[in-house]
Amino acid sequence: MGASIPQLLVNGVALGAAYALIALGFVLVINAVGAVNFAQGDLVMAGGFVAVTITEYLTPWANDNLPDLAFIGPRASAVGLGLVILPLTMVVMAVLGLLFSALAYAPLRHRPPVSVFISTIAVGLILQHGANAVFGPEPRVGPPLVVDGNFALGPITLSIQQLSVIFAAGCLITGTGLLLSRSQLGRQLRAVAQDPEMAEAIGISAGHCIAITFALAVALAGSAGMLLSNQFFVAPSDGGLFMLKAYIAVTVGGWGRLDGAAFAALLIGVFEVMMAAFVSYVMAEALLYAGVLLVLLVRPSGLLRETIQRRT
Amino acid sequence: MKAGSLRNVGIMAALLIAPVAFALSAGGYEQRIMTLAGIYAIAVLGYQLIFGRLGALSLAQGSFFGIGAYTTGLLGIHLDWAFPASFLASLIIPAAIACIIAIPVLRLESHYFALATLGISQIALLVGVNWTEGTGGANGLYGVPPLRILGTALDSSEAMLVVVWCVLASAVLAFSCLVKGRAAHRLTLLREAPEAAVTAGIDIGARRLSLFVASAAFGGAAGALQAHSIGVVSPAVLEFQVMVSILAMTVIGGRGHPAGAILGAVLLVHLPEWFRFLEAHYLVAYGAALLVAVIIMPEGLAGLFRRWLVTQERWAPEPPRTSKPEVPTTLAVLHLVGLCKRYGGVVALDNVSITVVPGEILGLIGPNGSGKSTLINVASGLQTLDAGEIRLGNLDLTGMPAHGRARVGLSRTFQTPVQALGLSPLESVLAACPAGLDERRAERHAAACLSAAGLTAPAVPTTSLSPAEARRLDLARALASGPAVLLLDEPAAGLTPAERDDLACCLKHLTDSGLGLLLVDHTMDFLLPLADRVICLATGSVVAEGPPSMVARDPAAIAAYFGEPPP
Amino acid sequence: MIRRVALLTVLTVHLAAVTATTVNAKDAYIPILVPITGFIALEGTAQRNGAIQALENAPEGVTVTYEVSDTSTSPEVAVTALHRALERGKPVAAAASIFGTQMLAMAPLAQRAGVPLITVSGTAKLTELGNPYIFRFFPGDGVVKVAHARYAVEVLGAKRPALLYQTTSYGQSGQAQLAKILKDLGAPLVFEEALAPSAKDMLPALAKLRAAKPDVILLHLHSGPTALAIRQAREAGINLPVVAGSAMHQPSTAKLLSQAQLSGVCAESAASPISESDAKLVAFTREFRTRFHTEPDAFALAQYDGINMVLAALKDGANNAEQVRNWLASHTFEGLAMTYKSDGKGNMAHDALIVCYDGASLVPTIVKRYHNVDGAL
Repeated sequence: MGASIPQLLVNGVALGAAYALIALGFVLVINAVGAVNFAQGDLVMAGGFVAVTITEYLTPWANDNLPDLAFIGPRASAVGLGLVILPLTMVVMAVLGLLFSALAYAPLRHRPPVSVFISTIAVGLILQHGANAVFGPEPRVGPPLVVDGNFALGPITLSIQQLSVIFAAGCLITGTGLLLSRSQLGRQLRAVAQDPEMAEAIGISAGHCIAITFALAVALAGSAGMLLSNQFFVAPSDGGLFMLKAYIAVTVGGWGRLDGAAFAALLIGVFEVMMAAFVSYVMAEALLYAGVLLVLLVRPSGLLRETIQRRT
Repeated sequence: MKAGSLRNVGIMAALLIAPVAFALSAGGYEQRIMTLAGIYAIAVLGYQLIFGRLGALSLAQGSFFGIGAYTTGLLGIHLDWAFPASFLASLIIPAAIACIIAIPVLRLESHYFALATLGISQIALLVGVNWTEGTGGANGLYGVPPLRILGTALDSSEAMLVVVWCVLASAVLAFSCLVKGRAAHRLTLLREAPEAAVTAGIDIGARRLSLFVASAAFGGAAGALQAHSIGVVSPAVLEFQVMVSILAMTVIGGRGHPAGAILGAVLLVHLPEWFRFLEAHYLVAYGAALLVAVIIMPEGLAGLFRRWLVTQERWAPEPPRTSKPEVPTTLAVLHLVGLCKRYGGVVALDNVSITVVPGEILGLIGPNGSGKSTLINVASGLQTLDAGEIRLGNLDLTGMPAHGRARVGLSRTFQTPVQALGLSPLESVLAACPAGLDERRAERHAAACLSAAGLTAPAVPTTSLSPAEARRLDLARALASGPAVLLLDEPAAGLTPAERDDLACCLKHLTDSGLGLLLVDHTMDFLLPLADRVICLATGSVVAEGPPSMVARDPAAIAAYFGEPPP
Repeated sequence: MIRRVALLTVLTVHLAAVTATTVNAKDAYIPILVPITGFIALEGTAQRNGAIQALENAPEGVTVTYEVSDTSTSPEVAVTALHRALERGKPVAAAASIFGTQMLAMAPLAQRAGVPLITVSGTAKLTELGNPYIFRFFPGDGVVKVAHARYAVEVLGAKRPALLYQTTSYGQSGQAQLAKILKDLGAPLVFEEALAPSAKDMLPALAKLRAAKPDVILLHLHSGPTALAIRQAREAGINLPVVAGSAMHQPSTAKLLSQAQLSGVCAESAASPISESDAKLVAFTREFRTRFHTEPDAFALAQYDGINMVLAALKDGANNAEQVRNWLASHTFEGLAMTYKSDGKGNMAHDALIVCYDGASLVPTIVKRYHNVDGAL
């Protein structure tokens, strides 16, 4: 074997961490409005392009105005600039999230969930082909969170970006969890997710909370997009793949559970990498789906018990 | 009713002929697009069976389309099979595959079912792309022979157009046969109120299987026609994009009516073509148009023309000449013996034994959490028993699924009345009538049940029923299967005193014919005068049993409610 | 009620519009039917740009109209696009998709309509159909893969090559050719793995590749995956020489990597316009850059040459599709990338070259040209 198991594990965890961010946004929307967001993958792709665009504008400015920053290679990799670009990306994506909720969800509030399927599919199409028309079809590389480069830790070569992805994803997931469980805003969001009528009755504006939930979900998708775009590039047609992984993670982890979704996403990332290393990529994909079917056969309600009753 | 269904036929005929006529007069390009629209309409029609009617989000319809295409392609190229043999194979093979995967997959709930079907469709795509020897791999199959009917090859766009739309017409006919009359009502009840449907004797499993298999056959037919029409089968027919298109067409077209399949397919196939002049931006415009369409048309295109398409029957029957039900009730004793049920660490039922004899009203009381609703759920089959036996007369119901129990004479009502808003009250009850009855007897029977339950205006839409009337509808539906024993879960909750008296009167009349009632309720001045016998449950066990007056003064019963024995 | 009337009006107007308009019958009509959306959009857009540049510089006395129609990712859309073009006017030729399965679907229709298809698709099967209306201006796998293999074995001295290829029609047909040619050259593959275009983490494949102890890495992947493979290989410490497929010559692919990572990387291609110093090619590149704000690649250049050959036919007196077809089948054409001549089956291009990156620039240098590889010129 040309690579050690720990090396493969690190890769799997890094990939899984990014998937977990995508799945997290997905679950938030499911909990808030009971509808599957088919545009989740395209939102991740949009986040990647937002990060690329911000980098293009920020780097020349940084090179001119900030002293002693190394400009390595054709991509913007001024050290630490990514730490500024990430929150900027998330802010832009949060605004996009508000727009998304106004277009794809708000007009269909009182309709059956399948209408929201279609509206999110439509917005996904707009995002994908809009990106194709505006940025062109070439793959782009996004900025590293801190800096490019590797270092060796025993038998393992770690890329700094990989570690940054794991760390950033961990922070964002924990942060979201804390926001939802400990803060007043989080309590309100959860109240609206569980019973909008009751929440309104006690004075919480369901409309505002849903909009905020979308903003948060899309901001998380955007962060995943940026984190993925450095190692794996971003192109307009990337959305479908991310959507699929998120959907699998959320369903297998127990519909509606944030911890289940994050956990399942990590599992998927590790599984993919390990299987591809020991068998082949094609088999890894086939085994992933076979595994999902097996899980559903054995535990028809997902790995962890689902917390919300079916609304779809 | 005759006029309505004639009008339906007329509209469908118009919808099938007008597009063909238009395309034939327009030229090769329009013919090509309309052919594609017809092909997709067939797939969408199939999808309406499983998704539109049954409400199950299957994500495998695109794969059945693809499998049908590959079947026709492989049989045509390697084995020289032609129409109709290869076409039939393209119906049978997807249907067979649907049968096989249905077994593990159909029992899953909504989003899990969706994910399972998605997983299967992705595996099909992997096979299509990577099994180079079998399917040609990513290059696909080239040289699918054109459709041959009676020896002549039909490869002109006009011929293909006409053939496809003829197949579509037969598909519409097949669809109507599958969801005709009461079958349609049963499906709506199943979709909107699954628990009521199951306890009314409708076998969810069998329905889902038959519709899933049928939908696969429709998908396969569409795929076969696609293979003939472009002569090439590539893995693109197995991609998720096909599924998304079918889903969008179903929703935009309107998922309840076959007209919706045709309208949705025609619109969504034409839409990107209309925007082609925008070149690079045309799919952005398509996405925007799709968004606008789903927002302004809540029930799809067919919903816009709903007034012209008769979807619900709202006529009022003549008042029944007798209130004798057409379905005779058999008298039987219900024995619940030694029922035990635990939820994790909580004991809901602890060795409970109850008997209900014909003609008696047995009252069941007890504080919250004593296990009353669990008892009814377990007896009717909606929840499983950990231990114990359930017998109705000579029949052992213990292992029987819920719909089976309903068919042999055990019915129930629900604490919160479950209604199918898409059905009128009469249709709701019709859906619960046994399948063997012919139309006229079923209508008489439904009317009799409605009047026995005290619901006097069966032609009112279900959405405008008052809470009291909703309970009567629940009751009427429970009566429709001709039960020997009826389990009533808090029927008096939320009723005014006058309504309660009415209900008590009605229930008393029901027992005249020998029907046994198990009545759970909290309202003592409703239940105690009505019941012949009363049982009190507390924390899962029977603590008192006997005539109403005795149980009302029983110290154990009082302790159960108030926490301490009477002074 | 109003909604319904509005909807019906919109529908009728559009149905009428779709069928009513046609292009001006006087000018020669050349539709451009290429994928500008979807995962082949990069190559399709290059085709489109190359075709447009040729058409905008049509020779004196030749007036052409053109239209771009997307063929997206499936054969059915391609066939619909061709039908539309056939209705909008009488095309004398059409620029056609690089995507193999789309070409296979369009071929019979083009034959029935008598319209020659000018494509840059490499799928071998296209010229085995016996369809006289297909003209391939990019060397097929029988030419480029020979160059690919021969460079690795004869110039780099490879004896144990390893291959990563794509699970697309491009990838699968390339793999078949490479495996055969390498065996014939006496250096059979010691490792091969198929990757889906969506595969992100290459470490599993690279790990297995490293374990097979190859001496050269061959890549036959699309643009993004090629860059990913090279980058991740370098990061994993695999510094073997890489000979990649055409995707690596594309400037957009090179932009994804750093100069250090590109050191030791070569690619096969039909041409590399940005590497050439010939005056005409420099002028072509400059105009392309100004017009489309992107660098040209071999696909754009091949399409440019193909359309120019059609325009040459028109200038030479060909009046309709049939005459253009005959001209294309019988004449030799000096394009910018190479000389084009049909081998009787529609293969027009017979040269290939290898470019290499030296680690100091993103513009590769042409290190070896293979002329008339299949002997058809």
